[in-house]
Amino acid sequence: MDPEGLEDALDLSRDRSQNHGVYIYQPAKPGKATGERPSKRRKVSSTDHRGQKSDVKCFVPLLNGEENAESSQLRHETYKQLWSAQEHKIQAILEDVDAGVLADVLSFVRENSPETCNGCIPTGLVTVGSNVSSLSRLLSRLNDQLLASGEGGVVVLESGDAPNLKSSLKNIIRAAITNTEGNDGYQKFLTDRAGPRLLGYDLDLLNDYVQRKGTKKLVLALRDSEAFDPGLLMDLLSLFNSWLDRIPFTVLLGISTSVELFEGRLPRACVSLLQGKHFEVQEAGNCVDRIYESLQTDPQGKLWLGRNVTSTLLEKTHDYFQTPEAFSRMVKYAYMSHFFANPLAVLLGNPAPATLSHPRLCEAIRNLPSFRMFCEDLLEAGSPDDVRNLLENDEYLLQEALSHVSAGQQSMQQIFQAVLVIHACIQHTQQGSKKSNVSDLSVRALSGELNDSQVADDMLATVRTFDSEKLGLLLESLPKTLPADLALEDIRTDFATLVDANAEFEPLRSEYNINSSVVKTTVVQQRILLSKGKANLSEQDIEYTRIVDRLVGALQEYLTETLIQPQELFMHEAFLFDLRNPLKENFTPRPRFALERALANPFDYLISSTDASGARISAKQPATAILYQLYLESGALVNIHDLWQAFYGVFEGDQGNTCDDRMIMSLFYSALSDLKSFGMVKNSRKKTDHLAKSAWMGL
Amino acid sequence: MQPVDVARSLSAQWPCRDIQARQLASLLHPNTPSLSTLVVHGVSATCKSTILLGVLSTLEVPHAFVRSSECITARHLLTKILWSTLEALGQKDEWEKYGKGRCEHVSTLAVLLEECLAARAEEQRGKFVLVLDEIDRQREAPPTLLSALARLGEIIPSLCVVLVLSSTPRPLFLQNAAVPHVSFPPYTRKEAIEILLASPMPLVENLPDETSSRVYPHFVATIYDTLVGPTAGSIPTFRSICHRLWPLFVAPVVQGEAPPGGNTEWDFTRLLVKNRALFRHQGESALVHRIVPEDTSAPSKTLRKPLAISTAPSALPHLPYFSTLILTSAYLASHTPQRLDTIFFSKFSSSSLSARNKRAHHRRRLKVLSQAQAEDRAAANDDPSTPRKGKRTKTRITKSTLSNAFATSSATTSAVGGGAGITGPSTILSARPFPLERLLAIFHAVDPNPPENPIHTAAVADQIYAELATLRRLRLVVPASGHVGFASTGSGNTSADAGEKWCVNVSGDWIGELAKGIGVEVGEWLAGGLD
Repeated sequence: MDPEGLEDALDLSRDRSQNHGVYIYQPAKPGKATGERPSKRRKVSSTDHRGQKSDVKCFVPLLNGEENAESSQLRHETYKQLWSAQEHKIQAILEDVDAGVLADVLSFVRENSPETCNGCIPTGLVTVGSNVSSLSRLLSRLNDQLLASGEGGVVVLESGDAPNLKSSLKNIIRAAITNTEGNDGYQKFLTDRAGPRLLGYDLDLLNDYVQRKGTKKLVLALRDSEAFDPGLLMDLLSLFNSWLDRIPFTVLLGISTSVELFEGRLPRACVSLLQGKHFEVQEAGNCVDRIYESLQTDPQGKLWLGRNVTSTLLEKTHDYFQTPEAFSRMVKYAYMSHFFANPLAVLLGNPAPATLSHPRLCEAIRNLPSFRMFCEDLLEAGSPDDVRNLLENDEYLLQEALSHVSAGQQSMQQIFQAVLVIHACIQHTQQGSKKSNVSDLSVRALSGELNDSQVADDMLATVRTFDSEKLGLLLESLPKTLPADLALEDIRTDFATLVDANAEFEPLRSEYNINSSVVKTTVVQQRILLSKGKANLSEQDIEYTRIVDRLVGALQEYLTETLIQPQELFMHEAFLFDLRNPLKENFTPRPRFALERALANPFDYLISSTDASGARISAKQPATAILYQLYLESGALVNIHDLWQAFYGVFEGDQGNTCDDRMIMSLFYSALSDLKSFGMVKNSRKKTDHLAKSAWMGL
Repeated sequence: MQPVDVARSLSAQWPCRDIQARQLASLLHPNTPSLSTLVVHGVSATCKSTILLGVLSTLEVPHAFVRSSECITARHLLTKILWSTLEALGQKDEWEKYGKGRCEHVSTLAVLLEECLAARAEEQRGKFVLVLDEIDRQREAPPTLLSALARLGEIIPSLCVVLVLSSTPRPLFLQNAAVPHVSFPPYTRKEAIEILLASPMPLVENLPDETSSRVYPHFVATIYDTLVGPTAGSIPTFRSICHRLWPLFVAPVVQGEAPPGGNTEWDFTRLLVKNRALFRHQGESALVHRIVPEDTSAPSKTLRKPLAISTAPSALPHLPYFSTLILTSAYLASHTPQRLDTIFFSKFSSSSLSARNKRAHHRRRLKVLSQAQAEDRAAANDDPSTPRKGKRTKTRITKSTLSNAFATSSATTSAVGGGAGITGPSTILSARPFPLERLLAIFHAVDPNPPENPIHTAAVADQIYAELATLRRLRLVVPASGHVGFASTGSGNTSADAGEKWCVNVSGDWIGELAKGIGVEVGEWLAGGLD
């Protein structure tokens, strides 16, 4: 069964659980029960304690609760171990990505002062594009560096912190002082002054602080400059400009659109206060590609993300505003759900045989689609005894499963090795800016299509036409870790000797090169025939062609061997996570859809006392739902009286003459006010007795 | 010291302000009886505060100087006045005596100031001057603040309040007759050139002193006449333009180029002829201050650079696919009249001939309308509308006009070669607010990759809301109520009402470029865009 089939199965089971009705989530009230004295300090220590305790058994036993405790424990530990390693890698990448910009910004901050900027405020414009989070990483590292060298610090201001001039100044001053002195230091600073107590927004405070600390650079960073109120920005900047002779301000502006657009929106007077430099932070996409590459192509990898998950993840990054952090959170969620919900994940943790010997686990393995495929293959190969053993002998089965898990892991590692090889070659063969990156190649490799794909074919064809110079570069850039039976070393040495021997000639060309073929023109019966033929090749060129053929042949063989379909591996369910659904559902919540569904089909969520399959609208439904369905049937303007008549009709049809007029009227009113508070109807200005529709279903 | 001497000593450093310095010196002289209030006014960068401070320090009158632009509230200003007075009088350590350093109202200030001025030692009891710089720009000032401050001098005999204004005061704005005013008019051409010539010349390496002293005065005068005078530039801008352009101007001399016409030496006229392009391109860009200054380090390149800038497309931000699509739909929603929605966006009528005709009809009508608007605007500006009309009457059928006619099928109504007044789809109609539901509907209509089975795919409205919030933070799409007055909606306010309307906040050319990147042609949908 393919992953889609599995998902369908999941969906079905979910649907069944919906018949249980709806559960109302009531959060346990945190903190004080009545009569208990709340104590902040005690609470902190106690939650810590509880956190440790709950850590022990946070993974519930699977297999209908019959999984033994060691296994679930092992799953949890393996997960933690695996993820912490990956997280370190992600952190390292994120830091590495920013390093260049950080150095630039730091040197800009150090070198520039108002004097070098013609009396303007030194300003760094940092365009971050959709990579919104990178600036805060950058700023915190900049702050660390400036603090360490004692030159000053960074004050980060967000648009949310700046509702008006007074509170934004207050926030700036407080942040600048607490940055080095801590919160108590700020309070002390306010009170322990020689003169009278200053107002919180008085920049004299900051001036005092700067004088006292000997601060040379005070960097003020506006993280989302576009979101700031332009008037406020103008006020702030003109204030800074007027204090510039006493407080050494440097301003860093984070820009998500473009510098021109940002500058165009500011008033001229404001622009003339600023002068500086423009920095560009790498796009989120590049960053995510690198993270993905390092996660998947790890030579010691244990768990891989399958094609569906990968394409969901990448789609999310390319189509929406998403930070690399959010990406890594999604990956974390994927890892977590694998270890949380898949009992086979225990096989990844090098388990002791005793933990495994569980009839349920063996049963689970026997139910795997890949197990069935494996058995069929064995039968075709003519070894029914093995199959019988697998089906009847638990121990043998577990042994086989474990060995296949590690074998499968190895072939996954090789697949990604091959992806890296192709990527390295493509760097040489593809011209222009549009090169396939590792993520694109990985998606294809994970679906088993890379070997026959256009990309690989093009690559090999281009390699054939290479002359000796280019081929030399290509050979050098191929990873050294390729398996020995490729005989790449032999090819390399042969190539080197050939090139050395013919150093005085032009670069050697193979017979596939365009320059080596000639077009012959012959006139036959007054028609001109063009025929392509091979030019006479020199000795060396023939020798060289042989080497190229060997290389291409070796590569081709290697690729066909390694690039297999991962879904065909036995036990791939244990080390390949490929369920699209928990990820997609959880990271794109759909409140509006749920609301509309609840109103249009209330019995999707509520337990119906009678058979709901009959009439679509019935009096058994909640009044709001009835009114909403009537509302769906109407046009853009609804006469309220008509609506009421229809509403009444629903109840009349159900209860006959016994229905209570006033009761229904009150239901109608409450339902209508519900719809109003959802923002679905409003009073129409055109006709007084009409309602205007303001929301349509299914958008 | 006599006022004349004061003016003379100041004019060495601050030339061309003799009269004002003499007026101020005679009014503020310690021996003359104290003036209660004095108003000093003039536009910015006319040396008001500098001359005032210069006079005060030369005359050795005790004074306090408060920059009102640094005070956030009126209370802040009053407190600051009190402190700087105490500081000037050397009574800073006794602040607890005077209202504990707190002062929340002008009446309190009057009492406190009187107390601390009375507490001076006997020999210091003379005139005390309080200078309030840029007091007309005070934030959160109550309407009575100015006249109240002007009364301080009447209540306290030894105090003289000097109000420095950067706008021209209205008559009787202090509700008080006979307040002396000293005006600082903007510098005249002669004065400005004199001031600039008095300041040191920008240094250029390898330039003979003799050449520079000969050419520089002419250069400064030319700069004033071409760039500074017509734009009412101040002295600092004048100076910065001169400093920026001078090295470029003399670049031919420095690089050792041979002067034209067989002469052996460069003179001003030849340099000017050589540098015609410099004034056209660099000069205009020199007037506009940019945050990131253009690189002027390589003078040989700069002449070509402006052209390159104008042709290269401005750097587009990289927005994700989905957000770009939302922004495009928002733009379309803003620029299409709502009553035409069914004609332009409905999928049911999209292929029929009559629908196409209808659409073409509306597009043409809107286009004509917008052209009429543009022409009105052009006529109002008294711009190149007349030559263009003249050109249109005697249009000859050439190859270029034919191709233009093919490109725009309604060549009869549109100006040949695209009239100067119409730059792109952005000018067609001004952006109008639209409700959110309309944006969603248009989004579905313009989606270049519509889902194969629209009934079974999940609704995207919720995802659109999330992205729209981000676009709003970037101020590409703004709530329509906030569009009118930015100050009225705080940036923290993100609540959306049911009937709330939105409006797109960027130019159309820019969105057109972005939309092309994701495969949507804006003109295809836009009323009056493509024809």
